This record gives sequence, structure tokens and C-alpha cells, in this order.
Amino acid sequence: MGPRVVVAMSGGVDSSVAAALLSEQGYDVIGIAMRLAADTPSSSARRRGTCCSHEDFEDARRVAERLRFPFYVVDLRSAFSAGVVADFVGEYLAGRTPNPCVVCNREIKFSRLWERAAALNADFVATGHYARIEADACGRFRLLRAVDYAKDQSYFLFNLTQEQLRRTLFPLGSMTKDAVRVRARALGLATADKPESQEICFVPDGDYASFVERSAAPQALRPGNIVDDDGLRLARHEGVHRFTVGQRRGLGVAAAEPLYVRKIDPFSGDVVVSGRARLTSAGLLASRVNLIPPMRSDAGFAAQVKIRYRHPALPASVKMTGSDCAEVRFENGGPAVTPGQACVFYDSDEVLGGGIIERAIEL
Amino acid sequence: MRIYLDHNAGAPLRHEAGEALRQWISLGGCGNPSSIHHAGQAARRELERAREQIAGLIEAPPRTVVFTSGGTESNNLAILGALETRRPRRRILSSTVEHSSILGPLHKLEQQVFDIVQFGCVWNGFVDAAEVIGALTPDTALVTLGLANSETGTIQDFSGVGDAARHAGALYHVDAAQAGGRIPLTVKDLDCDLITLSGHKLGALAGSGALYVRPGISFPGQLLGGPQEAGRRAGTPNLSGAIAFGAAADCCRTSLHAEMERLSFLSKRLLDQLCGSITGLRLNGSAGRRLPNTLNLTFPSVAGETLLIALDLEGIEASMGSACAAGAVEPSHVLLAMGRSEAEARSSLRISLGWSTSAAEIEAAAAVIARVWRRLAAPQSDAGAH
Repeated sequence: MGPRVVVAMSGGVDSSVAAALLSEQGYDVIGIAMRLAADTPSSSARRRGTCCSHEDFEDARRVAERLRFPFYVVDLRSAFSAGVVADFVGEYLAGRTPNPCVVCNREIKFSRLWERAAALNADFVATGHYARIEADACGRFRLLRAVDYAKDQSYFLFNLTQEQLRRTLFPLGSMTKDAVRVRARALGLATADKPESQEICFVPDGDYASFVERSAAPQALRPGNIVDDDGLRLARHEGVHRFTVGQRRGLGVAAAEPLYVRKIDPFSGDVVVSGRARLTSAGLLASRVNLIPPMRSDAGFAAQVKIRYRHPALPASVKMTGSDCAEVRFENGGPAVTPGQACVFYDSDEVLGGGIIERAIEL
Repeated sequence: MRIYLDHNAGAPLRHEAGEALRQWISLGGCGNPSSIHHAGQAARRELERAREQIAGLIEAPPRTVVFTSGGTESNNLAILGALETRRPRRRILSSTVEHSSILGPLHKLEQQVFDIVQFGCVWNGFVDAAEVIGALTPDTALVTLGLANSETGTIQDFSGVGDAARHAGALYHVDAAQAGGRIPLTVKDLDCDLITLSGHKLGALAGSGALYVRPGISFPGQLLGGPQEAGRRAGTPNLSGAIAFGAAADCCRTSLHAEMERLSFLSKRLLDQLCGSITGLRLNGSAGRRLPNTLNLTFPSVAGETLLIALDLEGIEASMGSACAAGAVEPSHVLLAMGRSEAEARSSLRISLGWSTSAAEIEAAAAVIARVWRRLAAPQSDAGAH
């Protein structure tokens, strides 16, 4: 039997095919589904298509049975609640817009799951992420965008270290989503035609504001005013967690031109709205920065920087301003940046690193 | 190599039970015990023979045995039937360390008009019979208690409860799903009105169970329909299940004392071996009054879930608490009720032996468990450092 690999299986088509490919390649595959969110009977119907419903676990189990490798469900609910959900709620309450997938990769998949995998004598952890890992001649590992740019998920993986890259496999990185579906059908996988999961798995209805309100202490909510650029009050709002920088809809303010959230002040509770022309920035400051290849930290480097998963990368210069802090300046100016989101540095297809956006550098 | 050490979840089919099934199938497996023709009569003979065999296990008259679909149905039937026959009494006495098939109905009844009193247990899992007796009131409909705990094997001492319940006019139900066929049980000693037995815990098929109903109790059925089982459980009985159950019960009865001695020896041997190689290993539940086949152990410095999976990958099949609907393991509510912390409960495994367990398997299991535990408990050099 080949090297042992623990495959994180959600029951979806991607992780199922990832497991199947590794199994075919002769790896000693162990499938593991992570129980992350508490599941109540009333929510299970709604949860269909997200990653934690019983039906999804059963789909994953069927794949394992068909391909004859062992499969287990592990309970990571408390770690997920403390590491991911609490961060998500706290960030929204602080007027920021978190990216829980980034946090989950950092706190759960590439830490807790790896601990479990190591305990099971696994050499690798694999996931169905669309991204590539390559080793260079010096034995250094590079994280690269997926071949299928439309599906590329390297944005969520900037936190991986050399050590983590060394023992991680992304079997789908060189495949297109269509090829994955074809593969799934050829393998007769029950999950071949399952819809994509788009929403955040623990907020299946996509209503983040209500989720935050249910999860937070009432006194932690921060109501305030919607104000214009001059500080003029336009309306009241029920909490800064209901807003995200760049948001246009749902402001409840009538104006001659469309207004967007430009800035959120969690202390005063002010949500500043502006016309589109003012939604610009010169750059941003990032914290919790991880650099994947060894980089000289004193000198800046040029990169293309993505400040949201679905945004195009913008040319910029990046300069480390501390051990894990960076200053990013866009070459030609950039859009409004959203604190809490990830900013990821690319050199063409290679992920150089990334961090969490702390604040914008205004023009 | 696979070593099955999860008999309390369900025992492998006994050879004798398999043989009885094969014979029945070779004769065509035909007939409804309620039919009047030859085939029906043959089926009825088989069913009644199985009933005698199961009754024999608890030294009860055969007609007191009602066939059910398993321990869960027996427990549900006992509770709901007792409440109906003791109407309008509303009080039920039980404990917090019962099986989910008792806790489930009690939880639902509590949301209705019923007054549910559940006693806790002390550190080694014992429920205080005197406390139960003291809580009997003229309003008490039922006392429902498990004899041997499924997770720790602790055997309760409920002497006096039967007598006291009778004087209070309450029915007394004993869940013996785990005790049945593993220790001597007689209706006389148990001195109760209702007893739950399970087929597959003792090597019959899953889907077969029985409820003993003391003669003289009017006991209404809950599954309604035909007059089968004297109206106490409608529906064509699961004949193949009953045949295997009967044969397995017969086996248990005839080999009971020898098997108790053998399993006591093997479980003690396993415990001694593990204690020798795992410093800080702890036995949960009573050391003395315990099913001979059951060990519930807290392993220091490891997560039980990971140990369970690692053992399975090495061929050792044990269990931990109960599985949730998704298949993840939950910490045992019994260990929590015994005052263990959630972390301790999450580091505890249940190892349950049975008829299929050999001495060689125990030697091998002891070595593998110790080796896997050492690997997991050792600080890992390169794992989880991020």
C-alpha cells in the first residue's frame, strides 16, 4: 500500500473525486468527514447541500464504500465553534466582514484535522480544493492557482506554511470542474451532479445578520447612524454587523445617486456611505500575514493582490512592516477595501502569501 | 485480522442461531403463525418453541413472553403500556443512566402531563434503590430501571424495589437488554412486572426482542391491529428473528456459568495487561458488580475518538459512548452522570467481549491497544504545530 493520506470529505463532488483519484493512484486512503456545526432535525432539510448534513455524510460514506477505503466522522464541533464561528461573530460585531473559509482552513482543516491524521499515521492530508502545490528543485514548496481559474481556491489557502504544503495534497488542482464531474460520473459517484455549495456552511440561509444576532449577547450589538461623508445623519441602523464595506443594497436611505458603505466605525456605530466615486483606496494594511516562499522582509516586492475572492488581482507593491504585518499600495489606486477579508499576494499563478485586511490607506 | 470487541452493541450471530435459521429456511421458511393450515401450524410451533426457549432464560412461563422488534420497542412498550394500565397515575421513577430507549420516551412524557423523577448515580454507577423506594407515591405508575448498564456493565442492586413498588400499586420494569443471557436472571429474583430482553445482544439477529409481562397484569398493546401476542403486540411476528433468538437464548442458558467464568477471566486478563502497559488507565463503573464481558476504560492523554479510529484501522473494534445520527461519537451520558468530566468521557472506550471472543484475540488486542495508545499519547514531533 502507498503512503497513507487522510482525505477531508464533505460528501460533495470535489472531495469525493479527490479521494477517488488518490485511491486509484495507490494511496492508502482514509476518508474523514468533519462534524463542524450542530445539526438539529429542523435544520437538516435546509442544510442539504452544505457540508454538515447527515445526507452529505451518507454521500461521503457511500463513496468510501464504493471505493473500499475506511471512512469516519470526527467531531470537531467545539473547535469549530471556538475557532471559526466565534471569530465570525466577533468580526461582524467589530464592523468587519470576516472570511470564515480562510479561518476554517487555518484553524480546522490544516491544524485540527492534521493532528487527527498524524495520530492515524497519515503521511498526507488531502482536500478537494482547487489549487496546486509544486516542489521546486531546492525542496521548497510553491502554492499555485488551479488550472481552472474559474474554480481557483488558492485565495483561501494563503496561510499554508512550507511544512503544511509538504504534507498536503490537492488532487484537483490540475483539473477543470467539468472534468471532475465527468470523472465523478464515470466512477458512478452518487455526488456527481450535486449542486455547488455556495453559502457559508454554518449559515445555510445566507442571512448573516440574523445569525450574528442569534449568536451574540444583545448588548454586544452596536446600533448607530448611517451618515454621509460630512457626518450628516441619514438614518438609524440596528447594528454595524448588518453592513459590509462596498454594500449598496439594504441601506434604507433614499438619495439621488446610489450610495455605498465606505467605512464602518464600530466604536461610534457610524456607517459612512458615499457615492461610487469615493469608494477608492490607495492601499491597505494587513495583519496575520503569512509568506509562503522565503522573501526578504525588509525590501518590498511587487505582486498582484486580490482583496476579495471574486475580485481580479490588482498590481501593487507589498512591504512587510512587522513580522506579520504588511502595507499594500495599489499601483493605480484600488477600490474600497473591506476590513476582515483576506488580501492575497500573487506572482502570476503563484501565491506568495497573504493576510487579513485591517484598514484601508485612503487616497 | 479483525477482533470484534463490541458485543454490547450487538453480538455476532451464534452458530446455533444460524443453524436453527438454516433449518427453518431449508424447510421453505413458509407460513404465518396465525394461519390455520399446516404451514401456519408449523410456523406457530417454531414461534412457540422460541418463546419457550426465551422464557427458559429467565425461568418464566412461556406465555409471559411477548415478541418485539428489539430492546427499544420492549422498553417503549413497557413504559407506554404501564402508563395506560395504571391510569390516571402520572409519576414515573427512573434514573439518568438508562439506555436512550428509556430516556427518549421519558423525555417526551415529561413534556406532557407526566411527572418524571430520574435518580442519578454515584461515582461507580450505582443508583440507590432506597432513594427509588422512598420516592414511590400513590401517584406512581411505573418504576423503570436498567439492570446492567450498557456502557459500564455495572450491575445494579435493586433488591426491595419490587416489593415496595407492588405495595405502592406501581408497575416495576427492568431493562435487562444487556444482562439477559450474560448473568443468571430469574423472574423470581428480579421480582418485577416487566423485563426487556434483546436478541442481538446475545448472538441472535438484530430486530428481535422480547418483553416479559408478569401474568395477571392487564397490559394493553401499543402497536394496534391483529390479535397476535395476546393483543399485546399486533402484527405478524418476526419468525426468523424469533427462531434465532430462541436458539441463542438456549445456548446462553446452557453455557451461562461456564461462559461467565471464561469471560470474567478474559476481561480481567485484558484489563491486567492494559493496566500493566498504560499508566493511569482507569476502569469506569463497579469493579465487583459488573457484567463479566464489559470493560469501560479511560485512557490517559488521548482523545477517545482518535483512539477508536486508530484501533479500527489496526483491526480492533470497540466503541465509545453512542454514535450521533451523522456517525460521529458523542461522550457517554452514563460517564457524565457518574461525575466524569466531558474530557474524561471523551477519552473513554467501551470494550465488550462475548461468545466469539477467544483468548488469543484478547492477547492480541491487549498488545495492539497498548501499542496504539503509546503512539497516540506520545508527544508528536511534527504534528499540529501550527
